[in-house]
Amino acid sequence: MRLFSWWIRRALGAAATLVGVSILVFLALRAMPGGFAETILGPFASEEQQRELAQRYGLDDSALAQYWLWLQAALGGDFGTSMISQEPVADELSSRLPVTGQLAVMAVLAAVFIGVPLGVLTAVRARADGGGTVGRLLSGLGVSLPEFVLGSIVVFLFSRYALGLSVGGYVPFGDDPAANLRAMILPAAVLSVFAISATARTTRDAVLNVLVEPYVTAAVARGESPAFIIRHHILRNAAAPVVVLITTITAYLLGGAIIVEYLFNLPGIGSYVVQAVGRRDYAVVQAGVLLAAAVFIVLNVVADLLVGLIDPRLGVTATGRQT
Amino acid sequence: MVAAFGSMANLGGDPAELAGARLQPPSPEHWLGTDHLGRSLVPRLLEGVGVTLLLSSIAVLATAVLSTALGILAGYAGGALNDLVMRLVELLYAFPSIVLAILVAAVVGPGRPAAMAAIVLVTIPLMTRLVRAASAAVSQRDYVTSAIVSGVRLPKILVRHVLPNVSGTIAVQGTYALSVGILVEGGLSFLGLGVQPPQASLGVLIQEGGVYMVAAPWLIIAPGVVLILAILSINVVGDGLRDRFEPRETRSLR
Repeated sequence: MRLFSWWIRRALGAAATLVGVSILVFLALRAMPGGFAETILGPFASEEQQRELAQRYGLDDSALAQYWLWLQAALGGDFGTSMISQEPVADELSSRLPVTGQLAVMAVLAAVFIGVPLGVLTAVRARADGGGTVGRLLSGLGVSLPEFVLGSIVVFLFSRYALGLSVGGYVPFGDDPAANLRAMILPAAVLSVFAISATARTTRDAVLNVLVEPYVTAAVARGESPAFIIRHHILRNAAAPVVVLITTITAYLLGGAIIVEYLFNLPGIGSYVVQAVGRRDYAVVQAGVLLAAAVFIVLNVVADLLVGLIDPRLGVTATGRQT
Repeated sequence: MVAAFGSMANLGGDPAELAGARLQPPSPEHWLGTDHLGRSLVPRLLEGVGVTLLLSSIAVLATAVLSTALGILAGYAGGALNDLVMRLVELLYAFPSIVLAILVAAVVGPGRPAAMAAIVLVTIPLMTRLVRAASAAVSQRDYVTSAIVSGVRLPKILVRHVLPNVSGTIAVQGTYALSVGILVEGGLSFLGLGVQPPQASLGVLIQEGGVYMVAAPWLIIAPGVVLILAILSINVVGDGLRDRFEPRETRSLR
């Protein structure tokens, strides 16, 4: 019962946030200097031409009427058509989703399979030898390496010296998996550096917090092997913050790794939305941002549920931790 | 960091001066070479670091003030005010940060104000959340209750009893927000929506360097390295502050 009411509250909150996001985006778009008609027709269009174009897309209605119209259509699953390409926005977004999705999946896999072990290792070895320090320094450097610097350098190195991987030239995975991977591995690697480092740091902190718990000391005293202690006592207790971080990174990547898409010329969601902002293609921006916000909210719920599964004390129906 | 501030003050040179031939590699006169207009990179870089740090610092200061006010009030009062603030914060949090920054830049118009506004909006949600959590915890303490019981007025309770106890969180988060701010400025200027040339900033320099990377790789390496070092050192300061203010972290290292 308590879980049920939690779901209701969560869903209501999500709906309110999404409506809020859509209103904010709508207001921002209308507040931008240079409306759609001006941007498209250029500086030499007559007033009359501008008015005609605005009328065609209903941009001369009041802002409230426009928003209401959009909201009604969006609730019915219709996100309108791009005013530039005349294609339905939903089609365009779903054709670009695989690119963004593939990038996100590749980077997150790297974070899970490289970042987590690295974090555990640096934490366990914190006092034993220099390995912990080196790992800590590397991950510190990794989170400080902005993707536009790293990406620029990677693009330069690989386009100049042709190291067997291509920069740009995206091919759908279904058409030619090998060519697709050649084009995607570099951008994914650039994104992975941050994902891996951030995951390693968070894992390290979480594991260090668990290491001081009495039950770990007790396990050591009982003579259990280090590998067993890590698997049995540490991983599960340290998992919560790591899970939250990884879902946050996933949401961020699915929202569109804009700079990487731009650098590597990938037809993903991020580059599409940014282009649409420049052209005042209202429906596209509206739908794109809403999609990113929805992904973020859904993944937050997923994170809460996962944390509850891993550690019922922190679960969504846990009591005694109000405020 | 210290080096950056110190050198800004004395090592000047006119950043706009056409000092020599275009795209020259590093040489004794121009330590870091010259760019596509023949400007020496050293003064450009110093100007860029100064602009980036100044912009980010002002923006983060604004974030800190706003987050502190909102977070402390919401955490102390709870109830409807808390819900309202948290809803607003969640709203901003749901935007991917670069998308938010680009929207801001489109509304305000590309330039320095856009970069600052974007940094504030990107950094405010997390900081407000954490300050609120800290403030909520502190507000349950006995000394706050006893202050209320002995009739201390609300502003005084907040400033004298709550604020000092959440200041650690503010300092730590402010430091991290500064490195996020530098990243946002860099990314936005890199996309041509932040600081506008000929004004230099780290993002502008990296973007310009990227264009001429094949002919003159030093143009991107120098600002890139400076940017990475700046963020790295800020993060180290942040980690240090956190270790100090959140002792659970250091307990295991002793």
